[in-house]
Amino acid sequence: MEAILNVQSVKKSYRMGKILVPALREVSFDVSEGEFLTIFGPSGSGKSTLLHLIGCLDRPDAGEILIEGVNVLKLSDEKLAELRLKKIGFVFQFFNLLPRLSALRNVELPLIIAGISEREAREKAKEIVTLMGLEARMNHRPSELSGGEQQRVAMARALINNPKIVLADEPTGNLDTKTGWEIVQLMKKLNQEKKQTFIVVTHDPHIAETADRIVYLKDGLIEAVKEAPRGNSQ
Amino acid sequence: MKSSKILAVAWENLTQRKLRASLTTLGVVIGIAAIIGLAALGEGFRLEIRERIQQGFELNVLIVIPGSFTAALRPPFIPQEVNSVRNVTGVALVAPLITLPQVKIYNETNQRINAFTVGAVNFSEMTQMVGERFIPIEGEIPGEDENDTIVLGYRACFLNETTRLARVGDNVTVLQINVSKTLRVAAILGKGGTPGITNFDNWAFIPTKTAVQLMEGEEAYNLILVKVSDIEQSEQVANDIENVFENPYAISVLVPIAFVRQVDRILAIVQLFLMAIASISLLVAGIGIMNIMTVSVMERTREIGILKAIGAKSRTVLAMFLSEAVLVGMVGGLIGILTGYGLSFVLSYGLSNFIQPQQQDTAFQSPGVQQSMAIRPVFSLEWTIIAFIFAVIVCIIFGLYPARKASKLNPVDALRYE
Repeated sequence: MEAILNVQSVKKSYRMGKILVPALREVSFDVSEGEFLTIFGPSGSGKSTLLHLIGCLDRPDAGEILIEGVNVLKLSDEKLAELRLKKIGFVFQFFNLLPRLSALRNVELPLIIAGISEREAREKAKEIVTLMGLEARMNHRPSELSGGEQQRVAMARALINNPKIVLADEPTGNLDTKTGWEIVQLMKKLNQEKKQTFIVVTHDPHIAETADRIVYLKDGLIEAVKEAPRGNSQ
Repeated sequence: MKSSKILAVAWENLTQRKLRASLTTLGVVIGIAAIIGLAALGEGFRLEIRERIQQGFELNVLIVIPGSFTAALRPPFIPQEVNSVRNVTGVALVAPLITLPQVKIYNETNQRINAFTVGAVNFSEMTQMVGERFIPIEGEIPGEDENDTIVLGYRACFLNETTRLARVGDNVTVLQINVSKTLRVAAILGKGGTPGITNFDNWAFIPTKTAVQLMEGEEAYNLILVKVSDIEQSEQVANDIENVFENPYAISVLVPIAFVRQVDRILAIVQLFLMAIASISLLVAGIGIMNIMTVSVMERTREIGILKAIGAKSRTVLAMFLSEAVLVGMVGGLIGILTGYGLSFVLSYGLSNFIQPQQQDTAFQSPGVQQSMAIRPVFSLEWTIIAFIFAVIVCIIFGLYPARKASKLNPVDALRYE
């Protein structure tokens, strides 16, 4: 299968006061279209940094990132925003929903940003909220929803623009085991039904092992890459 | 993102923080109200003053004098010179006038009649020249061939409301040094109202021929009144009149419209100055907007990060925050304009009450003429639009920094922000 994402010798350091802390030393890997990939590692291993770089939220110090063969580092900030809008969906550990907006309005936000008419956006948002099993809760604000519900709203928001790549940063990190597992299963289902590429960052080995492929990250370097430990790719 | 939607979102963001938004807007309201209030009041004040000055002049009548007000630089005008003035393009009418300052007038009971100046004129010319000011309340203005007549100004005839010195038909004695003549009072003029050059309340008028006989000399005029056919051409005509004379610098041409324009200009500057002071309050409001928006950007850092993460462009974020500033400016501007006009009415009422009692005793008070300074605020569409645009521009300028700060936020940093 064709690679939808190439990460080539990517380096990234952060400045903490006066010290430059390397977060990624040199990381290279490819992701195929429709793949369900997990990036697994202890905290501080650089996995969130890697996900932010893939998601075009930040730029690496060195190396190249290609999405569908396009070198994203050569794109302007405005073009990157467009790329995030159209090709990438983000799910965060802390959900990152806008607290003042209802679940439905949170979900339709990417469409509104894309300039789609309010009616159309509303319709699409309702559709996907229903798909996530939240139709009864869609007019509630995030604070009135449970963690699992909030994360499903976040997933709906990530998916509404039908992105090629869905990035999830510890999506279960703030949920109890059961709810977390449900979220992962939902992702797996969407991955299989819609053939969307999922890249999930986790430090939970149980969740990491549901993937087609696991990238083990430690101290900013790839330690190992394991293929389908349970034969997940059918 | 559609601009209409950006505005809607900005409006929503503002209305969700009602107290904060209304306090920010209040600053703009005060600033604009001050500007509009002063502009309306100042404009009313300016019009009132201009009107009052105009009452003292005939705007289309130029006055030509030999020399200047303070010194006669040359002898009075001879008839040929008057004729040359008559022939200048743009001159509609000419009325030469002889002033006889030494003439004393006595009534039948030998009381001195209170005329400061005796002017010798051609009565029909005067009627055409300054018709509205040359209206008799008693008697009739004498015709061309009625010599040995006199027309008295209101104050020359009346000592006060009840005491008068002469009636139409009385014979008065005029005395110029040694020569004396008995003249019949033909008419008494109405009150001129506002003081000014063409206010004849303290004048007396006699026919030119009578004056020549009194002076025992040639016709020589101290003043030429010139009516122009087009007020706007006044300065040009004045210039042409000067050039008729051999030595143009020896004569002066008084152009009332130029004087009025000058006063008008000065008042406009004063008005602008007042408004500049009022603008300072708008500046303060602008800084308030900047302050509140900077805090707001900090509070909403995470929200900005989320928006950027899901694909909002920097431009969109900028537009969103700037729209909030623009909305504050528009709402504040509109309310401020209404408040400002309201304020100007209240102020004008207070000011008029303040001015009126003080004016009662002024020496210039002419009875019967509406004398109180009633300043009516003037609604100016032009100033309204300018004030509104000014409000919005100030808000944009002061909103720009925080809005740019928001748009420049790095999404990763913004998401990490607690």
